[in-house]
Amino acid sequence: MAKIELQNVAKSYAALEIMSDLSLTIEHGEFVVLVGPSGCGKSTLLRMIAGLESITKGDLYIDSDRINDKAPRDRDIAMVFQSYALYPHMDVARNMGFSLEIRKEDKALKTDRVQRIADKLGLDTFLDRLPKALSGGQRQRVAMGRAIVRDPKAFLFDEPLSNLDASLRVGMRLEIARLHRELGATMVYVTHDQVEAMTLADRIVVMNLGNIEQVGTPIELYETPANLFVANFIGSPNMNLFEGAFRDGSVVISSDNPVSLPDYDLPAQAVHFGIRPEHIRLAEGDRADCTGLVEVVERLGSDTIVYANVDGWGIVVVRLNGTADTQIGDSIGLHFDRAQVRLFDADGKAIAHAGQSPTRQ
Amino acid sequence: MITKNDNAPDTLPGRFQARFGRLLEPYIYLSPALVLIALVMFIPLIIGISFSFQKYSLISASGPEWIGFANFEKLYGDRRFWNAARNTLFWTVCSVVLQFSLGLGLALLLNRPFFGRRIVQALILLPWAVPGFLTGLTWAWLFNPIIGPISHWMFALGLFSQPDSLLADPQYAMWGPIVANVWYGIPCFGVTLLAALQSIPDELYEAGAMDGASAWQSFTKITLPFLAPMIAITVLLRTIWVANFADLVFIMTGGGPANSTQILPNYIFTTAFRKLDFGYAAAISVALLVLLFIYAGILLHMRRTLVKV
Ligand SMILES: Nc1ncnc2c1ncn2[C@@H]1O[C@H](COP(=O)(O)OP(=O)(O)OP(=O)(O)O)[C@@H](O)[C@H]1O
Ligand SMILES: [Mg+2]
Repeated sequence: MAKIELQNVAKSYAALEIMSDLSLTIEHGEFVVLVGPSGCGKSTLLRMIAGLESITKGDLYIDSDRINDKAPRDRDIAMVFQSYALYPHMDVARNMGFSLEIRKEDKALKTDRVQRIADKLGLDTFLDRLPKALSGGQRQRVAMGRAIVRDPKAFLFDEPLSNLDASLRVGMRLEIARLHRELGATMVYVTHDQVEAMTLADRIVVMNLGNIEQVGTPIELYETPANLFVANFIGSPNMNLFEGAFRDGSVVISSDNPVSLPDYDLPAQAVHFGIRPEHIRLAEGDRADCTGLVEVVERLGSDTIVYANVDGWGIVVVRLNGTADTQIGDSIGLHFDRAQVRLFDADGKAIAHAGQSPTRQ
Repeated sequence: MITKNDNAPDTLPGRFQARFGRLLEPYIYLSPALVLIALVMFIPLIIGISFSFQKYSLISASGPEWIGFANFEKLYGDRRFWNAARNTLFWTVCSVVLQFSLGLGLALLLNRPFFGRRIVQALILLPWAVPGFLTGLTWAWLFNPIIGPISHWMFALGLFSQPDSLLADPQYAMWGPIVANVWYGIPCFGVTLLAALQSIPDELYEAGAMDGASAWQSFTKITLPFLAPMIAITVLLRTIWVANFADLVFIMTGGGPANSTQILPNYIFTTAFRKLDFGYAAAISVALLVLLFIYAGILLHMRRTLVKV
C-alpha cells in the first residue's frame, strides 16, 4: 500500500508541452480512475508514476519519498499494459514469476506464489503454455497475475480491458473490483469505459488537455459536475446542455417557453442549462416545459432513449424506464425535474443554487 | 461436396488423368526456377564431386580416368591438408566469434537513440561494400612496416621487439587476415542483428523494467532469447561464407609464411589453378563440403529447439 502524491507536475516532449501543472494525491489503498478524451495525457501521467517517462517539472512522492529520479525497478510499482506485454518466449508460469526470478527469490517460494495466484485467477491449467496459445481474456489474466505476484506498493492499469469483448469485460471488471477489495492496494486505472470508471472508482479524475478538470467520487461527478466539460464527459447518454439566458427567475432558451427555476437567485446573465436524460419526464398540457417531435427511439429493454427535436433548442435526449410506447413522429411534452437542473455560467463553471453547497473544483 | 462437377470426366482413366494433372500443376509453374537452379547449382556440383573420383590433371599426359577413392586416401595422408584444415578451423572460429561479438555490440549501440543515428547506420555498412581484394591489400599495407603504422604501434606498445610485420611471423601471421576479416564482416552482423533488435517491442523492456530487471537482466532474459533464432542463422551463414573465403589470406599472406596461414579454400585454389590437379582439388573441396554440411546440420538442429516468437 502506498500514498502517491503528484505536486505541480509538468511534462514536455522537447518544445511540446503535454501537461503544465498537475497536482493529485492518491491515498493509501484508494482506487483512482483517470478518464478524459483521447490524447489528454492519461497514459503519460501513468507512465510518469511508473517511471517509464521522465517528469519535466514538479515532484512525485510515494509515501513521502521523492522518487522523480528513481528507476522503475526501484519504485516497487506494478503496471498492467493495454497490450499486456507478456514475454512471448516464456510460458505462463515464468511470465507470472518473472519479477521473483529477477529478484532471485527462492524457487519453491516462487512456484508456490505463482501457483496460488494462478489458482485465484483460474489460470492453473495454463501454467505451461506460451502466451500465443492463450485467448485474449486469459492473456489479460496472466498480465494481472504477473502484477499481483510481486505484491507491489501500487498497481497501475492502462486500459487493461479495452481489448476484450463486452461480456468478458464485465467479468474482469468484477474480478478487478474483488482484487482491490482483497489486496487493499493502491490502484490507478485508466479507462475509456464509463461503466468501469463509475463502478470501480473510489474517486474519478477527469482530465482534459493535460489538466485535471475535476476530482471526486463517481456520484459527485455525476450529480454535481464542476464545469461544462465534466458535465458533458461523464454520463451516457450525455447530459442535455443548451445555451440560454437567466432572467427573472427563469432560463430562456428560445423565445417561448422559459423554464422557471425558483431555486436560483441570480442576476440576469448568459448561462448553460443542463439536465440529464433521466431527469426529464413526459408531461401533458400545462405541466410540460416544452414540446418536441420524436425523431429517434432506441429501445434497450431496460430503458428507452428518446431523441426529441424541440423548436429553437435542438435535440433533447430523454431516458424513459422500461419499454415506453413512444413512436417516431409523436409530439411529446417534456417536464424537467427542477432539483436536477444544473446551470453553468458563460465560462462553463457550475453555478450553485440555494440548498446546494458549491462544488469542489 | 454434394454438387457434382459436370466437367469432371467420369471414366476411371479420365479421373486419374485429372488428379495427376492437379498434382503436376505446381511443378509446371515451378519448372523455370527448378531448371535454372539445376543448371547453375546441381549440375556443376555433381560434376565437381565426380572430379574427386578421377585422376584429372591438366599436366599429366593421359586424359582423365576413374580412380575410385584414391584421391581421398592421398588426402588422409596429406600433412598439408591437415595443416590447412586446422588453420581453417582457427581462422573461421576466430573470425566469426569476433565478428559476431563486435557486430552485436555495434547493433546494441546503434539501437540507442543518438544524434545522427541514421547517417551512422548507413555509414556502418561501408566496409561491407569494399571488395574483399581491396580490403586485403589495404590491411596488408597497414601491417607493412615500411608504409603502414601498425607494426610501429605494436612495437611502441612493447608487443614486438622490433617493428616487424605481423604477417611475416609464422606464429601470429593468421591474425593479420583475421583482423582484416573482422573489420570486413562486422557490418554484416551489425546490420542483421540491428534489424532483429528493432523488431523487439519496447513494451517488453518496459514490462521488464517494471518487473525489476536491470539492464543486464533485460539483455539476457529478453533481448538474447529474442535474437537467438536470428543469431543462429547469421552465424551459420557467416561461418560457411568465412570458411570458403580465400581472398584475404590469398592477398595478404598467400598462405605463408611456411604454410602457417594456408587455409582449405586457398589450398584448393592453388591445387587446382597452380598445380592444375583438378581431381585432387575436387577431393579437398568435397571434404570441406562434408565438414560444413555436418556443421550446418548441428546448428539447424539447435535452432529448432529455440522458441520462435
Ligand atoms: N513521445 C512523444 N512525443 C511527443 N508527444 C507525445 C509522445 N507521447 C505522447 N505524446 C503526446 O502526449 C499527449 C498525451 O498522450 P497520452 O498517450 O498520455 O494520451 P492518452 O490520454 O493516454 O490518450 P488515449 O486515451 O488515446 O490513450 C498526446 O497529445 C500525444 O500526442
Ligand atoms: Mg493512453
